[in-house]
Amino acid sequence: MMVSLHEQQSESLIHSLEQEKGVNMKENVASMIVFLLLLFLNIRLLKGQSPPGKPFIFKCRSPEKETFTCWWRPGADGGLPTNYTLTYHKEGETITHECPDYKTGGPNSCYFSKKHTSIWTIYIITVNATNQMGSSVSDPRYVDVTYIVEPDPPVNLTLEVKHPEDRKPYLWVKWLPPTLVDVRSGWLTLQYEIRLKPEKAAEWETHFAGQQTQFKILSLYPGQKYLVQVRCKPDHGFWSVWSPESSIQIPNDFTMKDITVWIFVAVLSTIICLIMVWAVALKGYSMVTCIFPPVPGPKIKGFDTHLLEKGKSEELLSAFGCQDFPPTADCEDLLVEFLEVDDSEDQQLMPAHSKEHSGPGMKPTDLDPDNDSGRGSCDSPSLLSEKCEEPQANPSTFHTPEVIEQPEKPKANVTHTWDPQTISLVGKMPYLSVNGSKSSTWPLLQPGQHNTNSPYHNIADMCKLATSLDKIDKDALQSSKTTEAAGEEKATKQREVESSHSKAEQDTGWLLPKEKPPFISPKPLDYVEIHKVNKDGALSLLLKQKENGDQTGKAGTPETSKEYAKVSRVMDNNILVLVQDPGAQNVALFEESTKEAPPSPSQNQAEKDLSSFSTAPSDCRLQQGGLDYLDPACFMHSLH
Amino acid sequence: MDSKWSRRTGSLLLLLVSNLLLCKSTASLPICPSGAVNCQVSLRDLFDRAVILSHHIHKLSSEMFNEFDKRYTQGRGFITKAINSCHTSSLSTPEDKEQAQQIHHEDLLNMVLRVLPSWNDPLYHLVTEVRGMQEAPDAILSKAIEIEEQNRRLLEGMEKIVGQVHPGIKENEIYSVWSGLPSLQMADEDARLFAFYNLLHCLRRDSHKIDNYLKLLKCRIIYDSNC
Repeated sequence: MMVSLHEQQSESLIHSLEQEKGVNMKENVASMIVFLLLLFLNIRLLKGQSPPGKPFIFKCRSPEKETFTCWWRPGADGGLPTNYTLTYHKEGETITHECPDYKTGGPNSCYFSKKHTSIWTIYIITVNATNQMGSSVSDPRYVDVTYIVEPDPPVNLTLEVKHPEDRKPYLWVKWLPPTLVDVRSGWLTLQYEIRLKPEKAAEWETHFAGQQTQFKILSLYPGQKYLVQVRCKPDHGFWSVWSPESSIQIPNDFTMKDITVWIFVAVLSTIICLIMVWAVALKGYSMVTCIFPPVPGPKIKGFDTHLLEKGKSEELLSAFGCQDFPPTADCEDLLVEFLEVDDSEDQQLMPAHSKEHSGPGMKPTDLDPDNDSGRGSCDSPSLLSEKCEEPQANPSTFHTPEVIEQPEKPKANVTHTWDPQTISLVGKMPYLSVNGSKSSTWPLLQPGQHNTNSPYHNIADMCKLATSLDKIDKDALQSSKTTEAAGEEKATKQREVESSHSKAEQDTGWLLPKEKPPFISPKPLDYVEIHKVNKDGALSLLLKQKENGDQTGKAGTPETSKEYAKVSRVMDNNILVLVQDPGAQNVALFEESTKEAPPSPSQNQAEKDLSSFSTAPSDCRLQQGGLDYLDPACFMHSLH
Repeated sequence: MDSKWSRRTGSLLLLLVSNLLLCKSTASLPICPSGAVNCQVSLRDLFDRAVILSHHIHKLSSEMFNEFDKRYTQGRGFITKAINSCHTSSLSTPEDKEQAQQIHHEDLLNMVLRVLPSWNDPLYHLVTEVRGMQEAPDAILSKAIEIEEQNRRLLEGMEKIVGQVHPGIKENEIYSVWSGLPSLQMADEDARLFAFYNLLHCLRRDSHKIDNYLKLLKCRIIYDSNC
């Protein structure tokens, strides 16, 4: 038994030992294996090898749309020699091809020749990188040759400076299309662009040249060295790179011709300017007057510029006689007043005047010694004084202001409240009648108007008109001057009238005074004597004096009575038709009239007027001291 | 009566003479058959105009495609699917320069006349569908409208050219039928976008083809391969 136990124990011990041994062995093996593996790995890591990284196709390009090249960028090397293969397949095909040419395009490239290129087809291209460790494939690239065209730059760039005759010099740039591109068949259409700059400049000057292979450049700085480049682009593609630079030296005389032309132009223009300046200097004034005609002064009846200057508006306006606006009076009305007869106290004045002014400048031979005709057309008392005073100061020119100044002169005998404005009015009157066309402007005197209020100057105005009529006939004028018998003052007055008339002629228009004329205190006037009838039909009127016994022996007009000789109207030939005032006492006149011709009331008064008027001078003329005058009474009868 | 008649004859003669002179002045090329009646507008002018139109159409198509891609389908990889999916790929057209130069110009013209009308329908629907797109892009829509109009004009011009180059030719009825309209109207946004992408891609390609062929023909016929 004991033995059996021992045996059992020993058996179990051995068994366990054996088990232990087995385990140990396994462990050993495992650890060995692990150890070996680790060792192996260590060796490997120490060397650095790996499968290649993924390559990347970065560019595909066709220079002429007939071939193309693709370039790839390798990935990580992996430490081992790597083999790259490019494979592709075309759209619509299943066959995979390999790159036909790895060399032509350089390293890591694939060149597809004409045989292998199809247009309007998508290529699916991939690159395989393989090495000992492994391989990797790039992402596929989809390429359509149609859209990757980028040509080479143009070739044979030549520069030349050309100097054509009669034209500006220019730089001629010429080039040729890149060699590979087929432009002749129309497979590709190229457009060009050039750029140039002076050598030292910073910026390029670019010019688009279209489809031509030459270009002319005109604006260049002489004496500089220029650099030129050219590039091209297909109709639907990318621009090429710039061609290599070409340089050229621009000669210094590049723009010589230009300068001579400009010098010539400058000289010519200065000559023209000088000529113009000289012409202007010589005839400047006439040119100026031609361009800017002098503005006529205002010729408003009764307007006195002097008063205006003084600033006396009240006097100015009163001179106009602007009682109401708009003025309503007719010209006729005004002149009616003017011709009213007035027995003035100035009768004595005249001889005195005549004596005084008989001196200088006048022709005394023609002076009328007749007392009656001492008062001429200007014989209105107030008017005369002023008018006669004027010529002393300035016989040649007639100025209204002068007239105003004159009143201060002696001859205070003449009482006048003559408004200076009226003188200007008188001055205007002659203007009316001289114009033959304006004969009708001779207003019609209407009886019964303004009888009492007869401005003395009215008659004077008429007289002035008459004198102006004579102006056409110089001789008549002279004689009329003399017959005025006021002497010098009258003559000068007439001259004033003439001058004023001449001035009036310059006026563009005679402002017919619609306003009431300035009134002076009415002085009774003598009746009007028709002094003379001009051949032109001009009528010169004289103010007949009351004391005209010599003259009017025949007439026998009562001096006391006031006779009104009013102008009824003016006929075509400037024939004045006089009308007797019915209110006047015309006994004497009637008597006279009987001499002429029997009254024929039945006749047309106008005819009578005419006939009487025409005949009157011969019949009614009363010779007196060499002077003729017409007694209105002569043909008073004819008007009834 | 006599004077009237003489006047009429005189004016008629004048008209005839002026017509002759005018006819002489127009550049008539050898290609213009002597029997043609309407050889008025010169072939050179017709070709010049056709080339201008085709160039313009392709430029617009290219821009339209680029804008669409940038806006809607960038990075989606649609190109991978748009392989061999143009409706005109069945028409056998030359694939490179050698093939194009070997073809007689009559056949080349015929090819143009086959491709052009194939696009009448697609262009019309393209305009309609782009209009109906969400946030219809103005740039793309305007280009589509213009391309459609120019394409019609180009077709008319080409028919005139063919009438002058080959007056007796039979009316060409062959063209590709487009059946992509349902794809353009699909509810699935992705599918719809892809349909547009495909259409624009094919349009770009075909317009380039036509432009290229016409320029080849022009240089060959008018300038005798010496452009």
